[in-house]
Amino acid sequence: MLDSYLPVLVIVAISAVVGLAIIILSTVLSLNKDPSRIKLMPYECGMDPIGDARRRFSVRFFLIGMLFIVFDIELIFFFPWATIYEDLRMFGFVEMLIFVLVLLVGLGYVWRKGALQWE
Amino acid sequence: MRIVVGDKSPIIDELQSIFPDAIVAVQPVRDNVPTVWVRQGSLKDVLGYLKSGISKPFRTLFDLTAIDERLRVSRNGQPESDFTVVYHLISYERNEDVRVKVALKGDAPSIPSIVKLWPCANWYEREVWDMFGVRFEGHPNLRRILLPQRWKGHPLRKEHPARATEMGPFELPDYRAEEEDSRLQFHPEEWGLPDYGPDTRYIFLNMGPQHPGTHGPFRIVLALDGEVIVDAIPDIGFHHRGAEKMAERQTWHTFIPYTDRIDYLGGVMNNLPYCMAVERLAGIEVPDKAKVIRVMMAEFFRIASHLVFYGTYAQDVGAMSPVFFMFNDRERVFSIVEAICGGRMHPSWFRIGGVAQDLPKGWEKLVGQFVKYFPARLDEFLKLVMHNRLLKARTKGIGVYTLDEAIEWGVTGPGLRACGLEWDFRKDRPYSGYDQFEFDVPTGQNGDAYDRGAVRAEELRQSLRIIEQCLKMMPDGPYMADHPLATPPPKHLTMHHIETLIHHFLNVTWGPVIPAGEATAIVEATKGNNAYYLISDGNTNSYRTRIRTPSFAHLQMIPLIIRGSAIADLVALLGSIDFVMADVDR
Amino acid sequence: MDLAIPVILVIVKVLLVIFVVLTFVAYTTLLERRVLGWFQVRLGPNRVGPWGLLQPLADGAKLLLKEEVTVTAANRWIYLVAPLIVVTCALTPFAVIPFAKDLYLDRIFDQAASKFVLNTGVISDLNVGILFVFAVSSLGTYGVLLGGWSSNNKYSLLGGVRAGAQMISYELALSLSVIGVLLLAGTLSLTQIVEAQDSVWKWYVFRQPLGFILFLIAGSAEIGRTPFDLVECENELVAGYQTEYSAMKFGLFYLGEYAHLLFLSALMTTLYFGGWQGPFFPPIVWFLIKTFFFAFVFIWIRATYPRLRYDRVMAFGWKVLLPVGLFNVMVTAFVYTLWLQYRG
Repeated sequence: MLDSYLPVLVIVAISAVVGLAIIILSTVLSLNKDPSRIKLMPYECGMDPIGDARRRFSVRFFLIGMLFIVFDIELIFFFPWATIYEDLRMFGFVEMLIFVLVLLVGLGYVWRKGALQWE
Repeated sequence: MRIVVGDKSPIIDELQSIFPDAIVAVQPVRDNVPTVWVRQGSLKDVLGYLKSGISKPFRTLFDLTAIDERLRVSRNGQPESDFTVVYHLISYERNEDVRVKVALKGDAPSIPSIVKLWPCANWYEREVWDMFGVRFEGHPNLRRILLPQRWKGHPLRKEHPARATEMGPFELPDYRAEEEDSRLQFHPEEWGLPDYGPDTRYIFLNMGPQHPGTHGPFRIVLALDGEVIVDAIPDIGFHHRGAEKMAERQTWHTFIPYTDRIDYLGGVMNNLPYCMAVERLAGIEVPDKAKVIRVMMAEFFRIASHLVFYGTYAQDVGAMSPVFFMFNDRERVFSIVEAICGGRMHPSWFRIGGVAQDLPKGWEKLVGQFVKYFPARLDEFLKLVMHNRLLKARTKGIGVYTLDEAIEWGVTGPGLRACGLEWDFRKDRPYSGYDQFEFDVPTGQNGDAYDRGAVRAEELRQSLRIIEQCLKMMPDGPYMADHPLATPPPKHLTMHHIETLIHHFLNVTWGPVIPAGEATAIVEATKGNNAYYLISDGNTNSYRTRIRTPSFAHLQMIPLIIRGSAIADLVALLGSIDFVMADVDR
Repeated sequence: MDLAIPVILVIVKVLLVIFVVLTFVAYTTLLERRVLGWFQVRLGPNRVGPWGLLQPLADGAKLLLKEEVTVTAANRWIYLVAPLIVVTCALTPFAVIPFAKDLYLDRIFDQAASKFVLNTGVISDLNVGILFVFAVSSLGTYGVLLGGWSSNNKYSLLGGVRAGAQMISYELALSLSVIGVLLLAGTLSLTQIVEAQDSVWKWYVFRQPLGFILFLIAGSAEIGRTPFDLVECENELVAGYQTEYSAMKFGLFYLGEYAHLLFLSALMTTLYFGGWQGPFFPPIVWFLIKTFFFAFVFIWIRATYPRLRYDRVMAFGWKVLLPVGLFNVMVTAFVYTLWLQYRG
């Protein structure tokens, strides 16, 4: 178990270190280190920004975000099912069919309710 | 010099019978557009009647501008006036124009605003305020539109200096630059937007002037709810170069290169209305060959400009490749233009009374090759762009305006035809011999971004048809009118008659003296209708040059169309309008 | 001592893979520019070195020397960490991609090679490989989201939000599309999936054509390629979430993006096109040929299609891809059951 995850840990660590090294290298090497005041302003097409970007922001798809969590968790059940399908056969098929139908009913419901719509 | 037709126009008779006190005078002009002077008090009534009371009404406010009359010498019986505000209306049903003028007195004149009558008067009135200092009473937001807010004076007034040397050196130290920046800061309340409060979910966003999707320095301030546009406020003027003021100090002849740069994709297409207007003032009849050459070159530039539109239109909805194919073919067009004119984007090749040179030897071969080559490419572009399903999904039903809105807001050209009105100046008021050519006027039905693209795609084909006919039927004869005011007269003749030598000398050194008068010339330019309204005071340079460009009207309409759509739709809409900021700001 | 040598060897192997991946990433950018140039009747970069082959180096050097600008109003730490997240999440999944059959290491290190399964052509053959892949690569969205938010720029914010929207719309379809393959292979391990496709007709692309198409579509949405490149589409959002990034921090986003592209191509090769399997050439060559073919396909798509609108992208994911994905899974299961029944 550990045998197979150790290399994963190593690659995570090395990727992060490589990334960090690149940033540090770039900071050290960059030729101009004194950007002007204007450069340090957020870019808004050459104008002074109107207000701050950190404020209430209307995310219209937050409901879809919720749905995503629900559906994603449900989809996780497919993975073990698929792996041992050869043993389950017809039983597994019928079982999953019922599950999928329930899922589809849920999808149909939110669809009808307009949760997938924006306006 | 009086032109009789102007006085006898039935529309003037009708106005005189209905508003006997309102009409102060009827002015003869060189372009036969009925021109009436109206008392300031009854202006709104007269315009209101013309817009909705009359049968077959004048529903388009084509242009609104002003003239500083204080130094004008030859007034030819016009009423006393210091500043004249001019309203140019068009009726597509009648295929007629009417020009309404109002005389204003004093140094700080004011006049009632007609924004309630024509919403599109908004920007025009702001421009007149900006340029002439004429105050429009009742205007919702009368502020400068083209010049910076801090500008002193009103530049198109005659006392405003025209040369840099008259104004003192220009300086922009850092503190001043920051001041300028802070002046450009957007304050919603100044634009009549509701106060959304500090805890609002709406955010304000500057889109432009430095934005890849706005096709030049064009600023739209967006009020966004997420990505949905609640309101949009276009702001122009970043590309203003004072072309109209320059026209007042250049000679009639030397202003031609400036016109090239108005719609910088249109090249000689811009020369055409200017030269036509001057020729109307001077009474020059252009020889047939020059007319056909002009038509051919104008259509080449229509192709060049539409290709840029076509490519950027696809680019705006995210297709990367078409723009390269189209610029490639535009290059072919330019190589022909270069062979004929010597210039590419701005050849400045038309002259008062004709064109600069005869066609070079072998031009038929070049044009012939292109005429053979291009149709297959157009088919390919159609497949690549207009038939692409993703592009259709991005443009169909997007940026819709109705035909009524288009007419009210002064939309012209392909944007108008995309709503279903078959109106093309080349067909309906043929100029420069367009009536001799066979071509169709493509129209759309839905007035959406897709139709605007489709109309232009088909116009490319029609332009090619016209070029093909020019190729087959190029007449013989002179390329320059035989008229003392045609500038410059053919050089080779100067060595033969003294008359021509004198004209050549005078027209080239001083410039031609164009007889006093007023004339407008309107053409179907690449982006809509381009008009030059020229006033001559009998001098070597223009007394007033008004350049009416199509894009100005089109951009003003954006908020109306785009409220409630997404940012992506705004970009698709901007792509489908086909504007260049030089054409808007002049 | 017993442990040290294998660990060092693992580190060496990982470093080697990362170095190779980074090199390929750099050259994918060149490939993209050259191929796009070729599609668009122009040349593309061809001045630095022969055929422009040194262009990626020149770009890297340029980015390294560029001025570092961190917006005053930005949230510095998150702003700094965001590109790191993207890069890490783009490089890590390569750990489970089987790029070759074996490395012939047994000839050199008999003992150690067997100890840590070093000899395989994969860094780690996780038994939950495919789950790991999805888990890690979708974490990369956090980098984009955080980068967009921390810049304190509205365009970046909009780009970041779009990244989130895109993720929640396509993640489902992406996982659904591979269920068919898992079902037929009966395993989550990518190595075993490759081994199950030992002849061309057993490639899963032929048994799961619909699944493959779903994967291609959802995959290009996942990595934000045309027609789903909403996150940084320049016509609308200037540069999207990267607007405020400069120098090598920007470079890291770029790197992460192309690493992701390569990774997805490699995954497609692995899942549907028999991975490193193929006649005549050594496995690694086959693997690279197939992977770069898909990289080419993505570039090709970019040269061809316009971009979809944000809400339509979401609607498409939920209303089309999700039902079709479920349909594909059930049909696969049904047909497979019949086949198993028939075979006995």
